[in-house]
Amino acid sequence: MSQSFTFGTARKIAWREARASSFKFLFVILAVAVGVGALTGVRGFSTSFRRMLNSEARTLMAGDVSARIFVQPDPTQQAVLDGMIAQGTRMTQITETVTMAAKPGNPIPVLVSLKAVDPKNYPFYGEVKFNPPQTVQQALCPNCVVAAQELLLRLGLEVGGTMRIGGQDYRVSAIVEKEPDRMTGSLNVGPRMMMSREALAKTALLAEGSRAAQRFLFKLPIAVGGASDNVAATRALVKKTFPDALVTDYRETHPLITQGLDRATSFLSLVSLVALIIGSLGVAMAMNSHLQAKLDNIAVMKCLGARSGQIIGIYLMQTLALGALGGIIGIAFGVFVQVAFPTLIERYFQLRPEFYFDWTSVLQGLTAGLLSTLLFTLPPLLSIREIKPNSIFRRDMGEPKGTWRSRLRKSRIAIACGIIILGGLGLLAGWLAGTKLEDAIRLGGSFAIGLGVSVAVLAGFAWGLLRVLRRVSSLTKGTLRHGLANLYRPGNQAEAVLVSIGIGVMFTLTIYLIQHSVLTEIAESAPPGMPNVYLIDVTEPMREGLTKLVNSQPGVEKAVELIPSVAARITHIQGVAIATMDLKGFGRRFLQTRSITWNAAQPKGTKILQGKWYTPTETGRVAITQEVADSLKLKPGMMIDWTSAGRAFRTQISAVFRAETVRPGAAQDFILDPETLKGLPVIYFAGVRVKTDKVPQVQAAIYTKYPTISVVNIADVLDIIQEVVDQVAVVIRFISTFAILGGVIILAASVAGTRFRRMREVVILKTFGGTRQKIARIFSVEFLLLGACAGVLGSALATGFTGILLKRFFEGAEFKLQWGALAISIIGSALIANAAGWAASARILNQKPLAILRED
Amino acid sequence: MSNSFAIEVDAVTREIETGTHLVKILKGISFTIPHGEFVAIMGASGSGKSTLLGLLAGLDAPTSGRILLDGTDITHLAEDDMARVRGSKVGFVFQSYQLIPTLTAEENVLLPHELTGKLGDGMPRARQLLDQVGLLDRATHYPVQLSGGEQQRVALARAFMTHPPILLADEPTGNLDTANGRLVLDLLIRLNREQRTTLVMVTHDQQLAAYADRVITLSDGLLVSDEKKAA
Repeated sequence: MSQSFTFGTARKIAWREARASSFKFLFVILAVAVGVGALTGVRGFSTSFRRMLNSEARTLMAGDVSARIFVQPDPTQQAVLDGMIAQGTRMTQITETVTMAAKPGNPIPVLVSLKAVDPKNYPFYGEVKFNPPQTVQQALCPNCVVAAQELLLRLGLEVGGTMRIGGQDYRVSAIVEKEPDRMTGSLNVGPRMMMSREALAKTALLAEGSRAAQRFLFKLPIAVGGASDNVAATRALVKKTFPDALVTDYRETHPLITQGLDRATSFLSLVSLVALIIGSLGVAMAMNSHLQAKLDNIAVMKCLGARSGQIIGIYLMQTLALGALGGIIGIAFGVFVQVAFPTLIERYFQLRPEFYFDWTSVLQGLTAGLLSTLLFTLPPLLSIREIKPNSIFRRDMGEPKGTWRSRLRKSRIAIACGIIILGGLGLLAGWLAGTKLEDAIRLGGSFAIGLGVSVAVLAGFAWGLLRVLRRVSSLTKGTLRHGLANLYRPGNQAEAVLVSIGIGVMFTLTIYLIQHSVLTEIAESAPPGMPNVYLIDVTEPMREGLTKLVNSQPGVEKAVELIPSVAARITHIQGVAIATMDLKGFGRRFLQTRSITWNAAQPKGTKILQGKWYTPTETGRVAITQEVADSLKLKPGMMIDWTSAGRAFRTQISAVFRAETVRPGAAQDFILDPETLKGLPVIYFAGVRVKTDKVPQVQAAIYTKYPTISVVNIADVLDIIQEVVDQVAVVIRFISTFAILGGVIILAASVAGTRFRRMREVVILKTFGGTRQKIARIFSVEFLLLGACAGVLGSALATGFTGILLKRFFEGAEFKLQWGALAISIIGSALIANAAGWAASARILNQKPLAILRED
Repeated sequence: MSNSFAIEVDAVTREIETGTHLVKILKGISFTIPHGEFVAIMGASGSGKSTLLGLLAGLDAPTSGRILLDGTDITHLAEDDMARVRGSKVGFVFQSYQLIPTLTAEENVLLPHELTGKLGDGMPRARQLLDQVGLLDRATHYPVQLSGGEQQRVALARAFMTHPPILLADEPTGNLDTANGRLVLDLLIRLNREQRTTLVMVTHDQQLAAYADRVITLSDGLLVSDEKKAA
């Protein structure tokens, strides 16, 4: 046999062997397919999306070059812009801000995202779609506005109706259905609306210091053919003129979008990899039980002269065939995922990329499927070497347990396999998630360690839980005991099933718990006594009147608190120009104009971490948040130079503090003494505590008298945040569902693997008087217990992980146990496991006893 | 005992369709077995003896004819009703033991008691039966930890657990060596006498059949002889 044993022989034997186990392997193939499907789907969608970004880059930006700033250009900057126009560059300005819109007669306004454009020069590329169809100039006449359908519904308006914005009335000329640059715009808070810049000028919304964003779009004279140099030169000129602007050009699409897409692709690829790993675990499990059932065959083959390597070759071939088949079916799943994705993110991104079959993603999915399958089947495959030919004669005799030393010696291969598997998965993760080698190593390492720890903890818990259940089972009776006993049935692989489903539950629940905790944290940042309504863009002349008006409103529990805001930019730190400093990530935002404030004394809700708050007599002092101190490496005593409205001034850091409460609308990263900022253009933000049911009335009163002030109800902010978080969570949950699905398929595979044994037991139970109902109860107890235990394990780990993640990434976010979510997870896993178990055991209850007994 | 016969078999046939052929396994068999009798059913392989035993246990239904167990007509009983009859009237010993691998020896013995929902704690009786088959010291062992002979002794104890009036045994020593076979048979006969059970045993071993009160021989689906041992 050994001389003539070729690849063809191995293939033939492998095929014959697998043919008899087709039902068992069907589930395993599905489990791999689910993982590969998630992976290829996510990556395929990402590629389609990127292709769309690249092919429609100009359209998505609506221009060749874009610059975004938060202040109006000063005379020098304006001169440069005029010069560019004189040389043939076309330029248009877009203003984006948040304001209130209302229907006349109904004073309760809605917070909206407003975009003002020049209808003659917008967009340079792409088109705006209106309903009813019309041109931009028709739709955005000086007395017109267009709005999203959602806003009209909320205000109870129709096309042709009147909308009030900033104290002026406008005719709603159309519903805006599509804007080319929506994704690259600055603001996305509340329903959207558009008007002309001329129309906006009629309002008093753009007071100096207002938080409106200005976006300049440029269309170059020769924007086709070798225009690259031209684009680069324009971009450099714009960047030089507006040092704190975010400047982009069509060649790189929008950095925030590509960054977001890269991060999302990496993250979702890793989630898919988890699903794939669960699937591979299924292959390993099935191969293990398959080999257990083939012990005699293997022993016989060895008796007939086959070497271990040859037999491993046979089963390796089966493994690879399973992985490959799973991978191929997975590609079909992937197409489904890719098609489903745009629907999931429709509300966030208006764009639907065209379906593109990406061969690279397919190859990556297939390779990942094969490699992870192979890695996980290493231990059972290598165990073939341990099967002794004489085991055919003494199979029923248990091996002596041996000392821990001898057991450790025997486990050497298993331990080595474990290390190889983790290392291999780390490489896979790095390959799929990292765009740079450095990232790949970091991500791959973290993934392998995280996965190793999770699986070890889950396996440890599962082992302990099964031991406890085994002990408990001797104290129980009847159906419950039989159900419990089935959990440690030889070949049942309850531990692996618990780990697989547990990982899925852990993943999905962690995402839910984090989402929920972060939202609760924001909601609870306005505890009783703290403001729950915020007023944005209050100017100096309004200050006194507004204070009186708000404080006289019924339902106001605490007098209005006004926080001044001055737009200023840091120029130097300790005498070093900030532009020359090597700032990364969060720190880069300090290159741009920031909102700073003053306060005579330490505000409530802040805690000093270093230094001392300035005294009322000190001037030229600033207190900074810990976040700023960490990003810019600042400490008390250091000097910061500023510029604002053409005035330069210097401050010394007196204290580093932490804000204990969140105050939307008013950035309080830098708090200066009042004297230093005197005379600079100022805008105020106000916070007021109002009884919940009186908020609309207060909102209406403010809007009636001060229509340019945006009134933000904390509940509205929460709604907006919730909407965004929900959108992200739905995508993650969609992919993590694949992990649960993988676990469920593995349970089904495990049940299918013990099908014959179960049939025999059903028959024995029937022979001794067991009715179908009673036997069904026994199996249901088993499946429900298995699912519930996996739910308990997954929930326990999810709770732990959420606690750690919140502590690590959301400092201060308090984690409260979500008993309801935990209960739903546990009950849900139990029910799903029961359904999967029965799906794989279908018809065994109706087996005729005699037919089975005669087979023995 | 409400009925003078433990088992009544009346013109029973059993046919199966194989797709291309109609195979007649039993071709009209009739006999009765009084309470307490030990009957051996003999015959060559394929004569229909195991099929007959399966029909007597209600594990399969006859194509025609009637079977009564302790006066209850089981011929047309629904599956779950049949399971209840088995639980109350029939004990079964298989050639290949058929113990549940996840249950210990005593739990296996207790199984029929639990399945039939009998009141009270069955454990004392289970342990008593294990003691009677000489395996009390192995009560907490799992089947895999027992030898073939020991497993069959546990199966015997299990068969007697619910005091069944009828015990059906399908070649109970078929998988055992001579010594173990002898031991199991002695136990079977002793327990049968102690418990006053009607015993029907399928075997093709003449020596085993010699212990029976009566020997029914089947050949090619027909009852060819029914011999009672002289008292």
